[in-house]
Amino acid sequence: MPINNRIADFHTDLTAWRQDLHAYPELGFEEHRTSDIVAAKLAEFGIEVHRGLARTGVVGTLRGNQPGERAIALRADMDALPMPEANSFEHASKNPGRMHACGHDGHTTMLLGAARYLAETRNFAGTVHFVFQPAEEGGGGGQVMVEQGLFEKFPAEEVYGMHNMPGLPAGSFAGRVGPMMAATDRFDIVVKGRGGHAAQPHKTVDPVVIGAQIVGGLQTNTSRTADPVESLVVSITEFHAGSAYNVIAEEAVLRGTIRTFDPALRKLAEESLRTIAAGVAAALGGSAEITFLPGYPSTRNHASQLDKALSVAAKVVGPDNVIDDVAPTMGGEDFAYMLEAKPGAYIFIGAGAEVEGRKLHQVNYDFNDALLPLGASYWAQLVETVLARD
Amino acid sequence: MPITNRIADFDADLTAWRQDLHAHPELAFQEFRTADVVAAKLEEFGIEVHRGLAGTGVVGTLRGNQPGDRVIALRADMDALPMPEENTFEHASKYPGKMHACGHDGHTTMLLGAARYLAETRNFAGTVRFIFQPAEEGGGGGEVMVREGLFEQFPAEEVYALHNVPGMPVGTFAGRVGPMMAATDEFDIVVKGRGGHAAMPHKAIDPVVIGAQIVGALQTITSRTADPIESLVVSITQFHAGSAYNVIAEEAVLRGTIRSFDPALRVLAGETLTRIATGIAAGLGGSAEVKLVRGYPSTRNHAAQLDKALRVAEGLVGPERVRGDIPPVMGGEDFAYMLEAKPGAYLFIGAGSAQGGRNLHQTHYDFNDEILPLGASYWAQLVETLLARE
Repeated sequence: MPINNRIADFHTDLTAWRQDLHAYPELGFEEHRTSDIVAAKLAEFGIEVHRGLARTGVVGTLRGNQPGERAIALRADMDALPMPEANSFEHASKNPGRMHACGHDGHTTMLLGAARYLAETRNFAGTVHFVFQPAEEGGGGGQVMVEQGLFEKFPAEEVYGMHNMPGLPAGSFAGRVGPMMAATDRFDIVVKGRGGHAAQPHKTVDPVVIGAQIVGGLQTNTSRTADPVESLVVSITEFHAGSAYNVIAEEAVLRGTIRTFDPALRKLAEESLRTIAAGVAAALGGSAEITFLPGYPSTRNHASQLDKALSVAAKVVGPDNVIDDVAPTMGGEDFAYMLEAKPGAYIFIGAGAEVEGRKLHQVNYDFNDALLPLGASYWAQLVETVLARD
Repeated sequence: MPITNRIADFDADLTAWRQDLHAHPELAFQEFRTADVVAAKLEEFGIEVHRGLAGTGVVGTLRGNQPGDRVIALRADMDALPMPEENTFEHASKYPGKMHACGHDGHTTMLLGAARYLAETRNFAGTVRFIFQPAEEGGGGGEVMVREGLFEQFPAEEVYALHNVPGMPVGTFAGRVGPMMAATDEFDIVVKGRGGHAAMPHKAIDPVVIGAQIVGALQTITSRTADPIESLVVSITQFHAGSAYNVIAEEAVLRGTIRSFDPALRVLAGETLTRIATGIAAGLGGSAEVKLVRGYPSTRNHAAQLDKALRVAEGLVGPERVRGDIPPVMGGEDFAYMLEAKPGAYLFIGAGSAQGGRNLHQTHYDFNDEILPLGASYWAQLVETLLARE
């Protein structure tokens, strides 16, 4: 059971839909045009449409041609990133400073393709919910949908998600049991010193020296504080201080992110960051204000649902092209919230060779349209397998 | 001979002029409004005005009511700093990101006050030059004026300058023979790493961590490399890296200044800085490009002229309030170039309390208007003493 013939037949339509979405990227919670298109297509396919969860969220509900109690949910994300696109092809972004650089245009299209096929064939028993969520990129749109009663309004026993992954061959799928993506917390450290003339260091408390010592000290979070068999990333990604050669600044601003899988380590890393930043600053005569911005929890696959998902993937692309023990990545994903609410599985669909400049979140990225019928077929066959007719 | 009565009479004018300049700070070589104000006032006083040396420089020439061959030059600076002002009083900076945080507004006003008085009285023999220079703050406006022929076009036998110093009581003056201010060199260190996703530090070379280690290690130039008897300051005043929480930057930019009195230590400090920055960057897998920009030489007072200046100050405020043996300070001063060209003296004038963030180059600094008539009287009496009528 490889790619569904009927889906392959409308590959051209899928490509057109995907490139249209790519040309009109919209940021988290502002996916107005995108959700209009999604809702219109679902309605056109004859699927019951609900709008308004997390503002721009869309949920389509479809029943199979055999009655059944079982219900599953399939989820795609719709939002783009606040970055300029450097591609010059015809479907490049027409919204300056916004870009579909993570392939959510493709995720949305693959799920729409499956919805079209399933609405035509209805060759399953029970109910499938198509969940199109806003604001996956840092906005927590998935969390908001769950909080606003997604699974009370649209009860589902299981929930599934998928993400395209450059670096894995096109025509492959991959996943793993347990943690697949990291918890992603952010932090701001404002180092307060006392400004002054660069030639009179003794009359100042230099926030650049304090900030530098904090950056050095924070490396021990990973090297000395964490259990070495656990994974932890503390990245200080921004350091801003000063505006003149001869003026010692009043303060320095450090920002960054903490990535973890283990909830206890997540807590420990935050505490340790606070202790180090405050302690180093105090030791050098200044102070540090730390703002911790909790992000997504770790995205964790449930064993039995992952097994079903990978079995279906093996039917679409062959067992040789399915990896069931892919290494977890320290990236974040707000599908985590849905997996905390319901058992389910999140898998990667290979997007082909990883080319510098065309990786996820890079300015020359573009979703690989060759995957569209593959991903749509996976979704369709997942429904036909998990909700198989008697 | 205390404050000149006539100058005390127009104290309110001086304060108004100073606060107007304070509200309209202009950066180095862009002192267009300031130079217009200075030139207009000099002309109004009946003083011969020359403009255009070093772009915005202004030179006024005034002859006494008795002929004479002797000529002296008095110099004030006009530029402000690229930093935001945090004062909220009415004359706070109206130009965002620019501030008169070093009191050049006051220096300009004191010299204008003396010019007004001297133009009214002309109670001296010979010629006085009023030099208003651009770009004292790192721009080297004084050097440019000298190079463009200041003392060829406006010959002078001696040259004098004043700087206000918070932390020295109002009504005091101070100076020393020999080095009074430091040589001021600047440096840029561009740390090159390899950017990437904050969740994948192993695929990146983090320029923030390298930059932080460089800041830490540069502290050893003062603590371990320099002869402890000598004075040396290495200040890293700027650290710029990154623009997102989840992206490791490609590079970090560090900037700062080196201050020294001894010419040999000046060379050693620059060489050591280069070795430490490139060595640490290489040690952590990156690289560093170091650019050293030689700035002002050390500002050195000449013994005979310092003596004359201190005598005039003593006549004004009393001998017990004038010091001739203060320790040198690590600040730089491009009056150094004029003192290399002509014998002269550079004095500090006490500006009162430095508490509450009111030291030089701090965001709550404001020139103390109380000292305007004192400084103007010093200038007037210096002219009447050095160019005394027979």
